[in-house]
Amino acid sequence: MRDRLMLSMRASHAFMTIFAVGAVLCALWGSATGDSFYLRLGTEALILAGLAMSVELLLGYGGLLSLGQALYFGAGAYVSALVLRETPSFWLAMGAAFGFTLALGIIGGLIANRVRGVYFALITFGMAQVAAKTVYNTRELGGSDGLIGVPQIAVPLGPYSVSAADPVAFFLFVLGFMTLLYLLLAYLLGTPFGRVLTAMKANEKRVPFLGYSIWRARMVAYVVAALVAGVSGALYPMLRGFVSPELMFFETSGDALIMAVIGGLGTLVGAFYGAALITALKSVIGSWTEHHLIVIGALFVAAILFMPKGLIGRIRPRAEAILGGKRAIRAEAQEEHP
Amino acid sequence: MKKLSMTAIALLLSTTAHAAEPVKIGVATPLSGTYAGIGQQVRWGLEMAAEEINADGGIDGREVELVFEDTEANPTVAVQKAEKLFEVEDVDFLTGTVNSGATLAVGQVAERAGKLLATTVSFSDAITGEKCSPNVFRVNARAGQQSAALAAWLEQQKPGAKVFYLGPDYEMGRSTVAAFRSNAEGVGAESMGEVFAPLGAKDYSQYFGRLRASRPDVVYTSVAGNDTVRLFTQMEEFGIRNGLTILGASGTVTSQNIDAIGAAAEGFVTGVGYSPLIDSDQNRDFVARFNAANDADPDLYGADSYGILFAYKAAAEKAGSTETDAVRAALEGLSWDTPQGTKTIRAGDHQAMQPMYVVQVKDGAFTIADFISPEDAIGDDTCARF
Repeated sequence: MRDRLMLSMRASHAFMTIFAVGAVLCALWGSATGDSFYLRLGTEALILAGLAMSVELLLGYGGLLSLGQALYFGAGAYVSALVLRETPSFWLAMGAAFGFTLALGIIGGLIANRVRGVYFALITFGMAQVAAKTVYNTRELGGSDGLIGVPQIAVPLGPYSVSAADPVAFFLFVLGFMTLLYLLLAYLLGTPFGRVLTAMKANEKRVPFLGYSIWRARMVAYVVAALVAGVSGALYPMLRGFVSPELMFFETSGDALIMAVIGGLGTLVGAFYGAALITALKSVIGSWTEHHLIVIGALFVAAILFMPKGLIGRIRPRAEAILGGKRAIRAEAQEEHP
Repeated sequence: MKKLSMTAIALLLSTTAHAAEPVKIGVATPLSGTYAGIGQQVRWGLEMAAEEINADGGIDGREVELVFEDTEANPTVAVQKAEKLFEVEDVDFLTGTVNSGATLAVGQVAERAGKLLATTVSFSDAITGEKCSPNVFRVNARAGQQSAALAAWLEQQKPGAKVFYLGPDYEMGRSTVAAFRSNAEGVGAESMGEVFAPLGAKDYSQYFGRLRASRPDVVYTSVAGNDTVRLFTQMEEFGIRNGLTILGASGTVTSQNIDAIGAAAEGFVTGVGYSPLIDSDQNRDFVARFNAANDADPDLYGADSYGILFAYKAAAEKAGSTETDAVRAALEGLSWDTPQGTKTIRAGDHQAMQPMYVVQVKDGAFTIADFISPEDAIGDDTCARF
């Protein structure tokens, strides 16, 4: 079967391939010039892309605006940091972060999915703030100072081992990890569950008439998004060697939202482009003027006004036309001028 | 072999070029966000010091160049900026971090990059205590020094005082109260009880019953900002302020809220590492020059940031280079002159020892009530890592 969702996913895959190839070229350039700062900044952008992908899943496909995804990102980061400080084992840290955010996501989902619309946004915001303040005031978790001293671990990958201290290797590893997450989510969106999710965004009231449970779809989407944010967050202390409560603050959730929107909601791959763009802009403009928030805010407003579908959302129809031939163009034309 | 000789040539070239190259000092400080005001003072202090050092021939003939990066008062941004300064700008030395979390995280970055960091602002005792790092120095007074100065004053003025503690109910508030309590008990004061009020509490009268019942003659508080205004004015209105001496953290009564507190602030005592009122020729001169350059009084952040560059200059000249190990060795035990008197960096934990000042509110303005010697205020060396 060939339909709109599959066609647009194929276009997204093309953009993901371009992104991955571009990233590998960057890594080659970085390894040739002996750079470490830009590669590590790129690694951070990839980790944030994971968080933005969880926003993509919720908002871009399910139409659920969460203002508190940083809660799961931060929880994953803290669990990973706590484990790594005791036992420097990558898989143990990842497993613990996965398990913890799964439990947390189920609890959060049960609470947040009792309400919808703007109340859902507010309750997710509230839960993240409560968690952030709790961490901020818990001395065992380092309080406002956060936790330092996370060792630079080696990631065992079958016969190979990737050191988190090696900028090129760790960049490529995180790129692979995030690509895998992307493929998993893309697969999930192609399953009947993904169709229900998309249908729910289009018209929530009609979905039950087709015999599907909205609550279940929302719950699964919420928990999966929590897991994606959680395992992305778990990579953060491996890169930076510390965690701090700021990871759970609204700034983090808000940045992820901006990344997803600028990249293009409902494209999934937009998360990568958005994260790369915003991280690069913040770093460059931040060094150039201390009024960088004004510049980024203005860019955000301009992007919303002139590119409401985001970067990828804007150019994807062309890619679809190339990939899908004339039929897709006709479908596109029909959609725009019914 | 060819690569080796190339490296040797490159090394040779870089050492010969070194003499003329400026000494680059990175400043990762909040220029926007919650602590932008502190970052401004840090910037003013450093720029003034760099100008004076350059006018005086620089560091061993090399000019000082400051490279600023905005940390947005967020440790996750601060580590990024610190890496940029170390890797891209290749700075010789880093300073400017403000929040303690950022100092700790950036200190770890410095340690892994093999560079040095000095904070001029962060208070947390852990930075030169349990979480100390061989690559991190602190030239400002830590929280413990302020408590120790205040406790020393308490011992002199009110031996055997009965103290009641009232703090804001969050981690920092509780730890400042705990720190002062142990200092006060160490000098023979008697603790009568403690309560913690939520941040932003509107009504403090609910705590006054316990306060009165415990019959203290001294109250210690670490509330800040508008909370201080409400606490002090309510104590005044309820008449329980009479006969009590109120001690507090250095952020409790500041130039920003002293007018709003009004008469209720009278007699308030706190310990500080710097005050523009310090009565020395050096400080009067510093305050005048700072005012001329920036049209504002220096506060402790400005003064401590001004001082750090002279410490670095002295250490780099003593070491004859800007290499990390050489400068670290030269900084350890270094004594140098600052606007607030001579400071000495304790080799054991990289904490600067400095004279501490006890200031008291009189007629609605701060006055210097006492002076505590560096040795009395420094406290134990609890750093176990080096």
